[in-house]
Amino acid sequence: MKILVCFKAAPNVEMLLDEDWVVDKKLLIDTSFVRNDLSAHDESALEMALQLSDASRDLGMHVELNALTVDGPGATPILKTLSALRFATAVRIEPGADFLFQPTAVASIISQYIRLHAPPDVVLFGSQSDIGENAKTPLLTAEMLGWLCITRATRIVPTDEEHMTVTHQVDDGHARETVRVPCVISVGDAPCTYLRKPTLRDRLSYGKKPIAVLAEEDFQLPEETETLMDLEILRHERDAAIIAGESPAAKAKVLYEDYLKPLLSRP
Amino acid sequence: MKFKCILNGCAPNVKARAEELNSFIGTYLGNAALTGSTILFYANQEDRPALHDLVPTKSVELVRVGGYQPEIILDALKCTEDKEDTFLYLFPSGVVGAELAVRWAFRKNGSSLVHVEQMTLEKGGLMAVKKAYADHVRATFRLDRQPFCISLAKGSVERVPITGRENLQIIEHDLSGLNGDGFVRDTQWIPAEQARDLTGAKLLIVGGRGLETRENIRQLKEMAGAMGAEFGISRPVALNAWEPMHRLIGVSGTIARPEICIAAGISGAAAFYAGIEKSKLIIAINTDPQARIVKAADVAIIDDCMAVMDELTKIFMFDCTEQA
Repeated sequence: MKILVCFKAAPNVEMLLDEDWVVDKKLLIDTSFVRNDLSAHDESALEMALQLSDASRDLGMHVELNALTVDGPGATPILKTLSALRFATAVRIEPGADFLFQPTAVASIISQYIRLHAPPDVVLFGSQSDIGENAKTPLLTAEMLGWLCITRATRIVPTDEEHMTVTHQVDDGHARETVRVPCVISVGDAPCTYLRKPTLRDRLSYGKKPIAVLAEEDFQLPEETETLMDLEILRHERDAAIIAGESPAAKAKVLYEDYLKPLLSRP
Repeated sequence: MKFKCILNGCAPNVKARAEELNSFIGTYLGNAALTGSTILFYANQEDRPALHDLVPTKSVELVRVGGYQPEIILDALKCTEDKEDTFLYLFPSGVVGAELAVRWAFRKNGSSLVHVEQMTLEKGGLMAVKKAYADHVRATFRLDRQPFCISLAKGSVERVPITGRENLQIIEHDLSGLNGDGFVRDTQWIPAEQARDLTGAKLLIVGGRGLETRENIRQLKEMAGAMGAEFGISRPVALNAWEPMHRLIGVSGTIARPEICIAAGISGAAAFYAGIEKSKLIIAINTDPQARIVKAADVAIIDDCMAVMDELTKIFMFDCTEQA
């Protein structure tokens, strides 16, 4: 079985200070000086692909893992890590513009890439990136490919060469379904899916493979149907009153007597 | 011009989503010269009599299907909507609303936006507001191509009960024969372990990564129980599987509106804060005075949160005993 995981590195905006939150004329916020991390759901998707590969090997099935990102050179360290984790290919498509709020363009590039190269059996995505929060790329990719789609997966178990069992979130619960490939799966909040670290030996043996870089010009871009018009920074400030005291007990007493008790005793 | 609400009656909590749509329609479409109707999917015949009370518009198409699968629902929508000239489709918050909105817009050659908080109709277009940049920013988008398909953001509106459905116009369809191309070989439904409704909780105590261990989380949960409080967790705790996912507070979990929220060992990432920002009083307990949650709280204690919570529980228990 051949699996393609599509991911995006995103700036860790929790590291920005209040004064860093400034919207520029192009309706962007400069995050170039903070570290790029994997979006949480993308990290889960990559680790779930590795877990799926491990489980398939136990069943005597071969899984080939491949990684793809439509992102700038900042994603290269992550691609090298994935090579060290024995992903067969690690490909970066250099975007000609900022695609932060253009999920249709990203989905179009990914679906064209899939058609042009040997199509995988399964395409895995994180449900949404932490920054754009569009939550549309996996769904649009499935529609463009004409493939079936499972969203917000929390567990994937191999069944046979043509099927897998996917547990995924739906409204008010989960569904566990045996589905056939090819399909697109987006990964949601999946416990115990922090991306594993490659060994030093694997970093040296596999991590130095060159990363394939393609240009956006190789792909046709569709017209976006949604246009970003404005960004407004949200400030969450309530001017906290700090409770002082010599010990946790003293502070807890003030908290209870002055704040909790009056509110809790109200009917 | 017509708008339509799409509701998944196969899910147990469809009433909450219908009331959410009812509120959204009242807020953003109440004065518009539009005709609204609802398409309500359901699977079990025994649910059929109660469906009238779930309709936020004056007419409804009740569509019986074999169960919820997006492929089946999209095929069913194609059957009922093929010749319809609908300019706006409203989908509720949640997993199902978001996935259907995007895919249905693509199939209808329209435009879509998910997790929408506010909406304005404009000549030929629609402006919609949602969060971005890990919930630090409110972004406004213009949707250019009809039909517009939007799904609501969780907790963006207060639910409004649905009343006066006596003259409801009903059209029925039985599409239970659709099978979604046989993509799914078998399905097992796993209902969520029911967390109590936190909307009106008096006291909510939430534990975060700062508690450091599964044992500390367990102890904090016990303290919450002793104080009669609801208990929640932040995302890192949920991803460590120290507590079940249904206790997650924040954008991808519960949007709570308690009277008092104690955030213990929580850094205060915006995606978490969205889950408690409607609390009347937010109390932060954290060793780091620079933590984002400290600024965003009404009251803060800079100290070891387990030590403070332990003392707070003792004081609470003592006071209860005294009053008894």
